[in-house]
Amino acid sequence: MIIHDVICPFCGCLCDDLELECEGGKIIKVQNGCALAESTFMTDTRLPAPIRRTESGWEEISYNEAIKETAEILQGADRPLLYGWSSTHGEAQSVGVHIAELIGAVIDNTSTVCHGPSILAIQEVGHPGCTLGQVKNRADVIIYWGCNPIEAHPRHMSRYTTYATGFFVPDAQRERTVIVVDTRRTDTAGIADEFVQIEHGGDYAVLSALRAIVRGKASVIPAKVAGVSKEQLIRIAEICKTAKFGAIFFGLGLTMSRGKYKNIRNAIELTDELNRHTKFVISPLRGHGNVYGSNEVFTWMTGYPFAVDFARGIAFYNPGETTAVDILRRGECDAALIVASDPGANFPRAAAAHLAKIPTVVIDPHVNATTALARIHIPCTAAGIDAAGTAYRMDGVPIRLKKVIDRGYPDDAEILKKIYDRLNGGKGP
Amino acid sequence: MTEIWVKNACVIDPLNHINGEIMDIAIRDGRIVESVSDRADVIDAQRCLTLPGGIDSHTHVSGTKVNFGRYMSPEDMRAGRTKRKGKMHVTSGYYVPTTFGNSYRYSAMGYTTLLEGAMAPLEARHTHEEFTATPHQDMMANTLFDGNWAVMDAVREKDVRKTAAVVAWTLKAARGYGIKLTNPGGTEAWGFGEDLTGIHEMVPHFAVTPAEIITTMMRANELLKLPHSVHLHCNNLGKPGNYQTTLETFDIVPDLNPDRQTLYATHVQFHAYGGGTWKNICSKAEEITSSVNSRPQIVMDMGQIMFGRTMTMTADGPMEFNLHCLHHNKWSNHDVELETGSGIIPVTYSKKSAVNCIMWAIGLELALLTKNPYQCLLETDNPNGAPFVKYPEIIGLLMSKRYRDEECATLHPETEKRTSLCALERELNWHDIAVMTRAGQAKALGIVNQGKGHLGIGAEADIAIYPIRTDSVDPAREYRKVVEGFQKTRYTIKRGRVVSRDGDIIVDGANATFWVDAMVPEDLKMENDPEFIKRFEQFYTVRMSNYPVQDVYLPRGRRIETEVFT
Amino acid sequence: MRVILESKVRAKPNLPIEAEAIIPRNFLKGTDLLVYEGNKERTLSELFWIFVEGTAVSPENIEVILKGDTSRIKRVGEYMDTGSIVIEGDIGMHCGNFMSGGTIEIRGNADSWLGREMRGGTILCRGNASHYCATGYRGEKKGMQGGKVEVFGSTGDFCAEYLAGGTVHIHGSAGDFPGVEMRGGELIIEGDATRPCGNMKSGSCVILGTVHDMLPTFEKTRQRVLPEWKITADVYKGDVANRGKGTLCVRS
Repeated sequence: MIIHDVICPFCGCLCDDLELECEGGKIIKVQNGCALAESTFMTDTRLPAPIRRTESGWEEISYNEAIKETAEILQGADRPLLYGWSSTHGEAQSVGVHIAELIGAVIDNTSTVCHGPSILAIQEVGHPGCTLGQVKNRADVIIYWGCNPIEAHPRHMSRYTTYATGFFVPDAQRERTVIVVDTRRTDTAGIADEFVQIEHGGDYAVLSALRAIVRGKASVIPAKVAGVSKEQLIRIAEICKTAKFGAIFFGLGLTMSRGKYKNIRNAIELTDELNRHTKFVISPLRGHGNVYGSNEVFTWMTGYPFAVDFARGIAFYNPGETTAVDILRRGECDAALIVASDPGANFPRAAAAHLAKIPTVVIDPHVNATTALARIHIPCTAAGIDAAGTAYRMDGVPIRLKKVIDRGYPDDAEILKKIYDRLNGGKGP
Repeated sequence: MTEIWVKNACVIDPLNHINGEIMDIAIRDGRIVESVSDRADVIDAQRCLTLPGGIDSHTHVSGTKVNFGRYMSPEDMRAGRTKRKGKMHVTSGYYVPTTFGNSYRYSAMGYTTLLEGAMAPLEARHTHEEFTATPHQDMMANTLFDGNWAVMDAVREKDVRKTAAVVAWTLKAARGYGIKLTNPGGTEAWGFGEDLTGIHEMVPHFAVTPAEIITTMMRANELLKLPHSVHLHCNNLGKPGNYQTTLETFDIVPDLNPDRQTLYATHVQFHAYGGGTWKNICSKAEEITSSVNSRPQIVMDMGQIMFGRTMTMTADGPMEFNLHCLHHNKWSNHDVELETGSGIIPVTYSKKSAVNCIMWAIGLELALLTKNPYQCLLETDNPNGAPFVKYPEIIGLLMSKRYRDEECATLHPETEKRTSLCALERELNWHDIAVMTRAGQAKALGIVNQGKGHLGIGAEADIAIYPIRTDSVDPAREYRKVVEGFQKTRYTIKRGRVVSRDGDIIVDGANATFWVDAMVPEDLKMENDPEFIKRFEQFYTVRMSNYPVQDVYLPRGRRIETEVFT
Repeated sequence: MRVILESKVRAKPNLPIEAEAIIPRNFLKGTDLLVYEGNKERTLSELFWIFVEGTAVSPENIEVILKGDTSRIKRVGEYMDTGSIVIEGDIGMHCGNFMSGGTIEIRGNADSWLGREMRGGTILCRGNASHYCATGYRGEKKGMQGGKVEVFGSTGDFCAEYLAGGTVHIHGSAGDFPGVEMRGGELIIEGDATRPCGNMKSGSCVILGTVHDMLPTFEKTRQRVLPEWKITADVYKGDVANRGKGTLCVRS
């Protein structure tokens, strides 16, 4: 059976034009997708049933038993942490938030280790952005800053930017100027019309200098800023100011390097300044397929996009204090529920190590590095493969992920609802 | 079967010509009926003011833009925090509260139906997700068409039927309720950082004018027999001297529908400015209202501002950028491919600012100078002019000259010179307020026959009982009692269930979402139009098959089917 | 009156305690106060040995002394308006949030957000202060607006971010981005600083030590003798990345 217009749940691009060939509950061929999409749909390392750690290894347990024990672990905790959420659908995320408010937990999503700083910057200065189709149809200048889409978002350039045919940009390759800014010469830099190489940790200074130049204060700027010549900075500023429509995309090279959210803030303020000359937008290249969805769901339910602490009953937010990595590093939490993510692989060692010291439950379709730290692992459906649900693309466009096969696993939203019911004395959210 | 008998209610039900009668209301299974059995639960209203559930015909509570307002405002979130309590979820936020915050606070004020003012079709799914999480009000979504490429193409071809067909397809795909035009044409121009300055200026690259878009859409709207009229946010919002654009726009509105207006002009306060700069801005409320008073085909809403901090959010991207250049605060912008734009910035309306004081006065002038209250509805363009929790204060101001005078005394002295508010003696009565907060909205939105906005037999049992005794309160003098009374109902009944008592939510919500499935002749169906499909697949970034909102997003969807046109 | 609170040994010592109830004024009516430990509400006496010496008729005469392991106790002195608090060891986050009067002395180190959104009064920290010392809250336009924060050791990153009023005096060094987004007030750093005053709008900052990675968007205007510090300093205006009119003085 061929299924058309399938959405790939892997990264924030949420490409929705894949063709899948399925046979007998298995996916046998993926068309239109990138290599990442192919492995997303073709690799499956699911456990046959929930497992629990024993003194001698692992034992299989029933879903009911796993759910009951998870509820008991959470119920007894003084500072439970519910973390992850970015690779599942909004329906599961929303039950997660209800659990957190019910038991006074901290709930956080993977923004904490990716674009959390971008969110902090946006909370200071806002976000001049747009949907990706605006860029595709209009942009004649594209800037990739601290990111390498060829590797991390392989179809970003062909679907939305460099190679995409747009209404006002019919000959994309000729009509679009691509600028790449990075500390090293990446694959993406290889296709740039202009490559700006910055010394490590120098992004903030370069952004400040560009802002000053756009504001007509070039005279203040020294001959070299973080390894970039003033000449090149003035040229870049000019390309931007004379663009018809410019778009900046940035990645972890900017959010996670020295200065973090101040880098992003500076980039946003550069965008703001450029809007006094022409049209400019800026957007983070979001990693996990539905990480933006977790920000959206958390926000409408709690008011905050990530790192929400319900310990006092009300929602409190203060990244650095209520973020999962910080809570783990300080050894605060005494129980953890990890859903649809792999902090065991992505967190700093000290933070991940704390997960092994406390009762940790993983709800995830796949066995991952966190499983090795956990007490219980409950396998479930994978959103976009054997479960349907809502995901938000990196630009905020909501898309319904499709269920393309049935493998007989329970949906994580269902598992979470059962946990909620137990915690709430049998009453639903 | 559930039954409620509300006795001793002092009912004002303008659509049924009831004005302050003490009567009983019988409710069975969510509707108002002739009588109930003696097993019915009894609510003694104790002669308190009892109105149909409040309806907000223009508010921003759900969707991409609203949520972005929350996302960027942790400082506001700490303003309105409440803990989980009984059936109530945690809430946060004052001017951009969480969905539950919105729903609970509206419910406490007796509001049971809301129209979300702006939904981009591409992001409609998001709006509907939030509707589900705003559980105590029936919802509907104005659908944005101001920069819709397919619409502008059809308008350029002067093809009303084709325009109607695009609207019908899009409304169905987005599960939308009605046509919203926000700065028509201007949002497309903003795609390249430009704006339009008048209704006869060409939209770049599309060779149509706002006037042509508005006119064609009004005709398409009536051709499709949509329940609501075209809902317009005029061009040039918030610019001194813009009243002329507004008057020019009103001048091109024909009278096409005997049952309701042909044009709903929203937040008109923001469109009623004289002068040419911020230095000499003045009120043109008299000119605007005299136009509306002579045109029954127009209904407007106030767009009242109230002093304090709030958030402006609109599809009008260029206006927000201009405002940002004045305020230097944070600014978000979110243009939506082939459809529309949007902008968000926080603002503080201050009594020290002459401009803000004049704006405040203009909103009130509009309401006081409009003869027929059905033509000027009460709202703040929540949260743009003020968060909706300020409605009771606005009611107080409209009912009491003394309250207005006391407020005016604290304002910038220019207010008196550049507006006529202080000279207006009119004090609205209870009936006027009932019209301006529910009956008028129901009529304007075309939902009277859905059982909204009135308490006749067969109506949906959406009822608000306020702790106000109209026989003993003099609103002109005791306006504080009026304000307090409208802040918190004694009972809010939603579809026959008591949902809120004295401000506390006591049940889980079970709202419905109204949407319009407009019928078009077979040969006009856009899903069969090869040119439309080709353009869609070429220029959108989602596949056409992934665009329409699935039914699962409207767990209690109420589809309104229109009659096919020929 | 003197109230001595000595922390008890806890089963889970890493659990944060939120104790905004610990301000002098609250002890006028006794010691029956509530605090949070993790997600549980506790009475003060569950977590502290409480000793009260003497009496007081007004809060300005109340001194609260915290002893023992107090490094995980947050929000001590929040909204404090008078009286004094002495912390003998380290203190947790948000000490002196929104403080408007009185004095807090920390003999050890302070965790992050010391004196957040402070309006008045004095905070003395004898040890080091962590990140976001004397700053504001996420998304808010103004940080500390008045009063004085004096740190005898060094601070972490983002010290005095969004400073809008009052004085912040660091005897040691500040980390990355001290005075970032400053719009008023005075920041003095006797030691070193990295990338000071990024995007500053207004206010003044003096740095007596070495500045690392000076930002390229500050305009050197002149030299000036600073008699109170007995140095000659280069005076910069900035940040010109925005319309900044702040003053940054760096030892020549």
